[in-house]
Amino acid sequence: MSDQDLVVETVRDILSGFEPFVLTAERRWDDGLWTALAEAGLTGVGLPEELGGSGGELADAVAIVRTLAAGAGAVPVAEQLLVAGPAVVAADLALPPVDEPLTFALGPAVTAHASDDGDGPGRFTLSGTVADVAWSGAAKHLVVLAAGVAGPVLALVDVSALEATAAANLAGEPRGSLVLDDVPATGALLTSARIEELKARYALARSVQLAAALEQVLAWTVQYAGERVQFGRPLGKFQAIQMELAEMAGEVTAVTALTDAAVQAVERDENVVLACAAAKVRAGAAVEVVARLAHQVHGAIGFTQEHKLHHLTRRLWSWRDEAGTELAWSRVLGAGVLADGPDGLWPALTRVV
Amino acid sequence: MTNPLALAPAPRSDDAEKVRGEVREFLAAELAAGSFDTHVDTWLSGVDPAFSKKLGDRGWLGMTWPKEYGGHERSAMERYAVTEELLAAGAPVAAHWIADRQSGPNLLTYGTEKQRQEILPRIAAGECFFVIGMSEPDSGSDLASIRTKAVRNADGDWVVNGAKVWTSNAHHAHYGIVLVRTTPLDTSHRHRGMSQLLVDLSLPGITINPIRILDGGHHFNEVVFDDVVVPGDMLLGKEGDGWHQVTAELAFERSGPERFLSTYPLVAEFARRVADSGDSASVAVLGRISARLLALRQMSLRIAAALDRGELPNIPAALVKDVGTTFESDVIDEVRRVVDVSPSLDSPDPLGRALAEAQLHAPGYTLRGGTNEILRGIVARGLGLR
Repeated sequence: MSDQDLVVETVRDILSGFEPFVLTAERRWDDGLWTALAEAGLTGVGLPEELGGSGGELADAVAIVRTLAAGAGAVPVAEQLLVAGPAVVAADLALPPVDEPLTFALGPAVTAHASDDGDGPGRFTLSGTVADVAWSGAAKHLVVLAAGVAGPVLALVDVSALEATAAANLAGEPRGSLVLDDVPATGALLTSARIEELKARYALARSVQLAAALEQVLAWTVQYAGERVQFGRPLGKFQAIQMELAEMAGEVTAVTALTDAAVQAVERDENVVLACAAAKVRAGAAVEVVARLAHQVHGAIGFTQEHKLHHLTRRLWSWRDEAGTELAWSRVLGAGVLADGPDGLWPALTRVV
Repeated sequence: MTNPLALAPAPRSDDAEKVRGEVREFLAAELAAGSFDTHVDTWLSGVDPAFSKKLGDRGWLGMTWPKEYGGHERSAMERYAVTEELLAAGAPVAAHWIADRQSGPNLLTYGTEKQRQEILPRIAAGECFFVIGMSEPDSGSDLASIRTKAVRNADGDWVVNGAKVWTSNAHHAHYGIVLVRTTPLDTSHRHRGMSQLLVDLSLPGITINPIRILDGGHHFNEVVFDDVVVPGDMLLGKEGDGWHQVTAELAFERSGPERFLSTYPLVAEFARRVADSGDSASVAVLGRISARLLALRQMSLRIAAALDRGELPNIPAALVKDVGTTFESDVIDEVRRVVDVSPSLDSPDPLGRALAEAQLHAPGYTLRGGTNEILRGIVARGLGLR
């Protein structure tokens, strides 16, 4: 068993004690699951030990995120391990304790002013509203891309005392707004290239979650088709159903192949933006087919909260347009593969991943 | 959670990237010299023996075969790079395509030493072309129902009677690998009693009749066998093993880049248009098409890597072909919804011509090499449903 398999086994063991539940305004996330993961050191994987992380590679963090996504774990692990944590480390900011949830948001309406409070450079005050904050209300810390006087600023801010609005995505995951009113933060200037890569990593985090959830939905649907008997036969014995399941399998396999390739592109630090854009667009495109057919095969029970299917299909319908909509990333990819000019499409495509 | 159809990621291959660069240089020179025009679906329609010979001279045919049979002992990943570059350029590769992809590997696995020595070096040189003789007028997806039969005569030779259809480019080919019944159909064991014969298409008693496809092109044929005497030593593999032999190596036939790049020249033409117009809706469509294509490349590369490991991933290959050929067709409507161009083979606009060629060839994409319904049945078996 590889180290990564061991990590996955550990996450599965922990997950088995925390059934997915319907997220509501009263209970927006699974703090028990978070605590169990943090106690096992899993909320610091991929982040350097000397900075308070648990060590390990990006691939280990990806494996954890995949496993939690397939189990519909309502915790900000994708944001912390794949986006905000690595961004803080790369920007040389002090990493908050990894047992305190850290999330990420784009803050186009947030301005960062350098503050001269005697503590030297890297101190800012933030003003403005951040919308669409994943796990708002649950996260203690926020990494936000703000506009600074001298260019974009990656800012790390303690948001534990701030009130978030109650907005949620289609699965009930918190996506509220936070109002920042001269809030102190640490921060660093980023080049626009680094900003684009960070946005791409956020998209990749969602792609990894999408890939895992799509795979799990296929597995549930295959299992259900084998168990549910109608007209004296399991559903899976009917050709019409087999065609649908095979179509789902094609989509899932395509998504997994491209998402894995994008993760490798990030590991190699090559063509990160286009590789992540492609993975996000492809994963998003699969959602329509896979979620539609999964519900069709599951019949009426899958259309209720009695059955587990909705935990993942509602997430799929949300995630495909989070961290940049499918349209936005399609434009990034389309423009990117044309960067070499009218005859440059093929060389560009063979370079992306 | 694990998808039973997923394969390990393909490793990066510097050798493949090197040969890719060489092919690209060659193609640019050929295009500049006007030796070919770019078309859609050239692995069916682009027959040019002189071009095939050039590829053979450069060592780009029979790439993975042993050197003793004229091959070059290169990896499936390198072969993948060569074939996808040729298809993306819309180069005329139809003459040798079947021989290089399928018939050669078939001979390597099942052929006698004499058959291999005589034929494989000529395929690798780009001088010997093959057709597949499987489908018949009354046998399409249900291959076990074929009626072409071969009976041994007193000299130990095979006497063949029957007809094969959809035999692409039989009028340019030298040999066919023909699936025949050597034992009458036993309805309780339908897959038994078939054999593969290596048939020289110039033998007396063979008639090749053209069957035109929708754009009027002559690629398909009906090949009629009327008491054709095939020498006894031209049996391929074992008598009665025909079914096993034709199904064993479908990973080669179904996983390659020709299963998602048949309409790529249309995409390239569309990209030229978008680069000029900058139209935002078109840029997004190009992004969506690109994402699908990139995923298919990864799927196909994973199979090439598996072939290099000595595996025969037939079920994942069926999946590549299902997803890939669906994409080839979808591209047409993705493009035509955002460009103000009418399709016509006579259009002065290259995009109008590419749309016309792609559309008129489209019904074939999801039929040839196993219909998508058959493929999905295979995938369903892989999922444990049947």
